[in-house]
Amino acid sequence: MKARVIAAVLLAAVLAAAATTASGSVAKHNATTVTVWLQDDAKNGWADAVAAATRSFQAKHPGVNVDVQYQQWTTHLTKFDAALAGNNAPDVIELGNSETAKYMAAGAFAPIKAKAYPNSSKWLAGLKSSCTYNGKLLCVPYYAGARAVIYRMDYYRQAGIRSTPRSLNQFVADGKKLMKKFGKDGNFSAFYYPGKNWYATMGFVYDYGGQIAVKKNGKWKGALTSPQAIKGLTAAKSVMKALSRAPRTTDEAHPYPSIPFAKGKVASFVGNGWEWPYTLDPKVGNPGLANVMNAYPMPSHVKGRYMPTFLGGSDLAIPATSGNKTLAADWIAAYTSTANEKKMSDAGNIPNASNLAALAAGNPKVSPFARAAKYNWFVPISPNWSNVESGNVLQEMCQAIFTGRKSVRAAATSASNTITRILNTGS
Amino acid sequence: MAAVESELAVSSRRRPRWSRHRIARGVAPYALLAPATIAIGAVLAYPLYLLVRLSFERYGLFELIRHKGVWIGAANYTRILHDGQFWHVVLRTLAFTAVNVSLTMVLGTAIALLLVQLNSFMRMLLTAGLVFVWATPVVVAVDIWRWMVDSEFGVANWTLTKLHFGNFTHHDWFVNPWSGFAVITALVVWGAIPFVTITVFAGLSQVPDELLEAARIDGARPFAVFREITLPLLKPIFVILASLSIIWDFQVFNQVWIMLDQRPSSDYFLMSIYSFFESFRISEYGLGSAIAVVMVLIMLVVTSFYVRQMVKAGEVR
Repeated sequence: MKARVIAAVLLAAVLAAAATTASGSVAKHNATTVTVWLQDDAKNGWADAVAAATRSFQAKHPGVNVDVQYQQWTTHLTKFDAALAGNNAPDVIELGNSETAKYMAAGAFAPIKAKAYPNSSKWLAGLKSSCTYNGKLLCVPYYAGARAVIYRMDYYRQAGIRSTPRSLNQFVADGKKLMKKFGKDGNFSAFYYPGKNWYATMGFVYDYGGQIAVKKNGKWKGALTSPQAIKGLTAAKSVMKALSRAPRTTDEAHPYPSIPFAKGKVASFVGNGWEWPYTLDPKVGNPGLANVMNAYPMPSHVKGRYMPTFLGGSDLAIPATSGNKTLAADWIAAYTSTANEKKMSDAGNIPNASNLAALAAGNPKVSPFARAAKYNWFVPISPNWSNVESGNVLQEMCQAIFTGRKSVRAAATSASNTITRILNTGS
Repeated sequence: MAAVESELAVSSRRRPRWSRHRIARGVAPYALLAPATIAIGAVLAYPLYLLVRLSFERYGLFELIRHKGVWIGAANYTRILHDGQFWHVVLRTLAFTAVNVSLTMVLGTAIALLLVQLNSFMRMLLTAGLVFVWATPVVVAVDIWRWMVDSEFGVANWTLTKLHFGNFTHHDWFVNPWSGFAVITALVVWGAIPFVTITVFAGLSQVPDELLEAARIDGARPFAVFREITLPLLKPIFVILASLSIIWDFQVFNQVWIMLDQRPSSDYFLMSIYSFFESFRISEYGLGSAIAVVMVLIMLVVTSFYVRQMVKAGEVR
């Protein structure tokens, strides 16, 4: 019977296809190549600093190659885990300051000698503490970042807004004016606020006096159901409903809000310092906006104060498995030189040391962000925290609240319980 | 059985027992099978063994860096079996598979029957279209679909609004998991139809025209002809297509993962996603492996029925 022959051939073909897709490629590891994993932000914002670091490193170590591979925030830890398991890890890796604790506790990083790095006596305390575990220094502060409201001055002017808002109420009232003036375009947002932007939403929680979790007698407890946190989440929901038409199921990086902003569909968004120059990048944005863009710290519900911003930042670590630890340390030292930190500052970041703060204050494109950092919040300091982040616990809560699938209290209760469970794992 | 033995007895009497020719003939099939066996052992059996071993270990980041897990017996299994979310995910995966396989088989067969009726130009056009769909890599296909259903700039919302199906401006298809899974199902079925259609079409060309004609002369309606003649004749093809579809749809991963920016909310967890999440996002590799092992077991139970059918179909002459 022909039908049976066809069936048999098919099965064989399918099995063969399955077998060929199972093979993968392994990066070649050369003794004279230093492999560096940096996040995409460096490629988009300060690629010149990376190139300069490699140049001065190679002047000292002729013949040593530097292979810089750019990674994305959503996947870089997954790849790092896989690389650790395969003995294939990079020699230098960038981690967010809320991601380091888990890896330091697991012994993933080689110890760091602070003296070998520029400005190390003046490193920002917040970043340095994210590199310290059990009194040992295990990574190098790279840069810090705070978020502020990036806005279109011309739109504000056309909507009759004379000065930037100094309270949350004023912010909402101004936003409503913008919606009235431009909202006929169904894609316009006065304040572009994607549903899963948990950094922005937690700002509201901390502004009203709430917290993500509290530690009592050595045990963590999720705190998102406190009256203050509920107030903050409720306020966030009403701001989002009134002012934003951003998708409620995407986060702050898919797409970067600067992209709809560059298209003229957005009057303001809360973003990192580097997202300002990124908006003007001709490859992804619109250089024509240079004269109509500005930024201000997000105002608090208490008049005259700012809404706390996530004190973000990045660190550079040398994985314990690296075979080129000395070379890796030299590259990091070259990369975090004063001259390179200035390039990062020009791109909108806060430099890694307090003696370089003048660089930020003198730059009108960085100073709003540096001012915003005066009121800040940080994630609970626990080796298990990054599992809360990569487990999407807070993103899911935000999405459930903003899409209306769950009440504020129900979503906060379920997230809080999950956070309690994850943070207390193994303790 | 007895006949075979006597035949063997006859042949062994005829020739010397261990002639070189005989040994070569005895060994040859195994030698020919060896490369395939080694390949399957290397790419399938060994990883599977590692997976099963991992599922009995505590294997977090700490263990990962040291390349050494801690044996904890069946603790990972008891943990997932007592986890309400796990059972939710299992049921969701089974339902998802059932819906996708049914839609794929019905639509794929319907299009194959249509192909038979078409003139050769239209048939070529449609076949070319199907082959293009089949040839599109999954990642590319998911990206295209994601742009089409994008809430801000997607062509789906624009078209539906223009056609007055309601105001779909800024409609987000993934807020509600039902509509989100509808999009994912459409994508999976769309990608799977060409294979089913082309295979069934190849099978249909083997159905003798006399049989169909005789049935029609006897007054059978088209559906009866299909049910009484075509279906039984093509049963081996349908059985294997159904079992392959079940295998594929049960382990759908990319379509959900890429469509939802690699951060699907737990409403969208299928077993494959859940296992990946526990492993690579939470760094609980032992737990993730246990989920994967359970997935393999469910798969074996579901498909063993079809494999038996296939073997049976092969026995009957």
